[in-house]
Amino acid sequence: MSDQRKGPEADPVTHFGYQSVPESQKAQKVAEVFHSVAAKYDLMNDLMSAGVHRLWKRFTIELSGVRSGNRVLDIAGGTGDLTKQFSRLVGPRGEVVLADINDSMLKVGRDRLMDEGIANNVSFVQADAEKLPFPDNHFDCVTIAFGLRNVTHKEAAIASMLRVLKPGGRLLVLEFSKPTSQLLSKAYDAYSFSLLPFMGKLIANDSASYRYLAESIRMHPDQDTLKAMMETTGFGRVTYHNMTGGIVALHRGIKP
Amino acid sequence: MILMTQAVLAALERGLNSLLAMDAVAGRRLAGLQGKVIAIDCPTPNFKLFILPAYDGLHLAAHHEAEVDCTLKAPASRLAQLALSQNKTAILHSFNVTLEGDSAALIELSDILQSLELDWEYELSRWIGPVATALLGQFVRKGRGWTDQSHESLRQSLSDWLAEESRTLVGRREGDARFAEIDALRLTVDRLEARIDRLAQRRHK
Repeated sequence: MSDQRKGPEADPVTHFGYQSVPESQKAQKVAEVFHSVAAKYDLMNDLMSAGVHRLWKRFTIELSGVRSGNRVLDIAGGTGDLTKQFSRLVGPRGEVVLADINDSMLKVGRDRLMDEGIANNVSFVQADAEKLPFPDNHFDCVTIAFGLRNVTHKEAAIASMLRVLKPGGRLLVLEFSKPTSQLLSKAYDAYSFSLLPFMGKLIANDSASYRYLAESIRMHPDQDTLKAMMETTGFGRVTYHNMTGGIVALHRGIKP
Repeated sequence: MILMTQAVLAALERGLNSLLAMDAVAGRRLAGLQGKVIAIDCPTPNFKLFILPAYDGLHLAAHHEAEVDCTLKAPASRLAQLALSQNKTAILHSFNVTLEGDSAALIELSDILQSLELDWEYELSRWIGPVATALLGQFVRKGRGWTDQSHESLRQSLSDWLAEESRTLVGRREGDARFAEIDALRLTVDRLEARIDRLAQRRHK
């Protein structure tokens, strides 16, 4: 799904949930959402998914193929769920970089990991997924979990991830997607647009951010579109696995 | 199916790691195995499990796309025997068990699990406090002593009753005496048979 542009002379616009906003404002608006939810992010994730997000992430770790001594980049790593597991897998000879564009989320992640004694092979970088500040062919594995839909130029972000991956390295994109059954889709819509903002209001005192979450999921490319996007960018052997009836999909591509 | 498998593995992992956390030295010993990957390949029923030991416990996975240090291939019945038996070497050499790679990692892991000394009183004291745990511990130890004694006493009484009262079974000493008589009779018969053979041969000559 490409971002909308109104013409060469007009300001390019993109979507922010169901709204159209100038591209220059999207990152700021997304940042506001995450500044607002950072403190209750983990609690809300557990409540919204009934803890199932932990299983989605477990499967992501399993498919990563990460082993001792590897270098891993966890983009939009937020509160560090994946980084924690990667840190264990790569061991003292490896390295994990937790990158997030949002400093509030990065602080929550850094504090949490340090509290759990995970520090010796993890570094924290505030970085934009579209312009990753790392050398070419640097990482064995790059992951982005529930982050790609918030990126303004998805193709640019995927190209940036391709650049920093070593040949043979893997990109794993864990993201909300399109339910495979009509019935589930209806139930999911009802849940997303009524219960989710209500829970957001109740727990994080912020219903707008959770309404944005539901809207941004609907605006995100579906499984096949994202697969095609990864292939067009240059990834090979792109596959995806639907989880929870397609509510979430894990895409994997290999850098040729 | 993906999530079902992950849920089962997560629950199993949590249970195992809660047990491992009760042993003071298991974590340190498991840290020595960090980075090793042990694969369990079971043909009946068909499943594959990867065990990744780490300082914070065991991590279980259904997929592992990197190299494996050790692969144990055995049917579920053999795996259960292996988990419960003291003599693991004999089971590892059975005909339907194959072990490939660095077996030292598997044997060390098996030894860690076998020699767990669970400090349940420490875990309980975190929830109900030291005084209540001490009282409960005393009660449990007394109860265990009474159960052991009762079990031994019941076993002795039952054996006496079966042998002496109901005469259903033969007592050990009576049995030993009877077996000794049978052995003596067998020897006598053997000697007699040998003598008859010798006499028969002499007659033919």
